[in-house]
Amino acid sequence: MRPQSHRISTRSLYVPLVCLVLLSVFAVTARAEGELGYRFTPLAPLQAAPGFSLQDMDEETHTLSDYRGKVVLVNFWATWCPPCRKEMPALEALYKKLGTDDFAVLAVNQWEDPDHVFTYTGDLNVFPSFPILFDPESAISQDYGVKGLPTSFLIDKKGRLAYRAVGGRDFDHPEVEKLILELQAQP
Amino acid sequence: MGHSVPPVRVIRSRGWLTGLVILFCSLGPQAGQAEMDRQVSPDTGLVSWKSSGDALDFELLQVLPDYVRAVFTTRGLPKPLIDKVSSYCVFGTILKNTTDKPLSYRVADWRYITPDGKRHEIRTKSDWVAEWRDMGVAFRWSMLPDDQTFEVGDWGQGFTTIPLQPGDVFSLEYNWSQDGHTETRTIKEVQCAPAEPPNID
Repeated sequence: MRPQSHRISTRSLYVPLVCLVLLSVFAVTARAEGELGYRFTPLAPLQAAPGFSLQDMDEETHTLSDYRGKVVLVNFWATWCPPCRKEMPALEALYKKLGTDDFAVLAVNQWEDPDHVFTYTGDLNVFPSFPILFDPESAISQDYGVKGLPTSFLIDKKGRLAYRAVGGRDFDHPEVEKLILELQAQP
Repeated sequence: MGHSVPPVRVIRSRGWLTGLVILFCSLGPQAGQAEMDRQVSPDTGLVSWKSSGDALDFELLQVLPDYVRAVFTTRGLPKPLIDKVSSYCVFGTILKNTTDKPLSYRVADWRYITPDGKRHEIRTKSDWVAEWRDMGVAFRWSMLPDDQTFEVGDWGQGFTTIPLQPGDVFSLEYNWSQDGHTETRTIKEVQCAPAEPPNID
C-alpha cells in the first residue's frame, strides 16, 4: 500500500525543488535524449496483449478490449522520468495527426496520483488529449514485462502485441507513422 | 553544456617515428578502458562521465542527496525508505544500444572498486524492491533495471546506488554482452556527488 499521510504537506516543499533539479541536473542528459530515436522492435510470435481496465483522470474506465479494431499505442510513463516528459508532445502530435477512428493512444501512468499528474500536464506546452490512465500499483506494467520507463507497445487491430520500444521515442517521426499505417492496413 | 575535459596525452620522444607511434596508440581506446568524456555542468557544478564509440553508450551523472530525497518524497514514500536511499552515493545512469544488433547488460555483473583495490557488488534494483516490499511499499521504479536486452534503438535510464559517502572516489567496472561476447569497461576516478550543491562561480 502507498502511504498517503504526509504526501500533501511535503509535496508543496519538494515539487519546486524537483522541478528545478530536473531542469538542471538532467540538463546534462539532453545530449543523450536529444535523439530519441524512432525504431520499434517487431515482436514474434504475435501474442495477445494483456488486458486491462484502468481509470483516467476523470475516473472513467478504459478497457483495452474496447479498442479492438484499432491500432493502439500503449505508453508506460511517469512524470519524474525525463524522457517520458520529452516524448509527450510528439505523442500528442501523432495522436492529433492520425485521429481516433483507427488509432488510439493510452498513456499508462505508473504509481502516481491524478492530482499530481494533472499538475504536471498543466505545465506542458501541449496538453495531452489522449487518455491518461492510472496503474497505481504497477500491476499492468508488470503484466507487460516493463522493466524501465518509458516503454511503449503497438497493439494491432486484433489485440496482439506487434511492436515494442524501450526508452523514449520521437513518435512524430515519419517512420513511426508509417509503422502504424501498415498495422492499420492489415486485415 | 559542460566543458569537456579531454584525456591528457603527452608525447615525450626523441624521434618523430616514436612520436607518431605513441600518437597512433593514444587515439584508440585501450582494451577494457573506455574513452570517457568527463564533463562538469556549468549550471550545477555536477560531474558526468560518458563513454563514446562503444556498442553500449554509458553515461553516469552525479546526483545530489537532496535530489534523491526530493524524487522519493514526491512519490509519497515513507521517510525510512527515503533516508536509506539518499544515504547512498547515487548516480543517474543512461544506457543506449548504438548498434544494429541486440545487446544485454546485468547490473549484478558490474563492480565498483574502492581505492584499497577491493571489488564490490552493486546493490541492484531487485535488492531495493525486496527491501521496500518488506516495508509494505510496492514501489518499483527509479532504479536502473537489474538486466535488460536492448533491441535496436532501445535505451534506458535509472539510478545506480553505491554504498559510499559524498565525495568518495572509486572505479566503476561495467560490461555488456552482444553476440555471445562480453565487453568490459572501467571508468576510473568516479566521484560521488558532494553532500551540498557545488559553488558555481
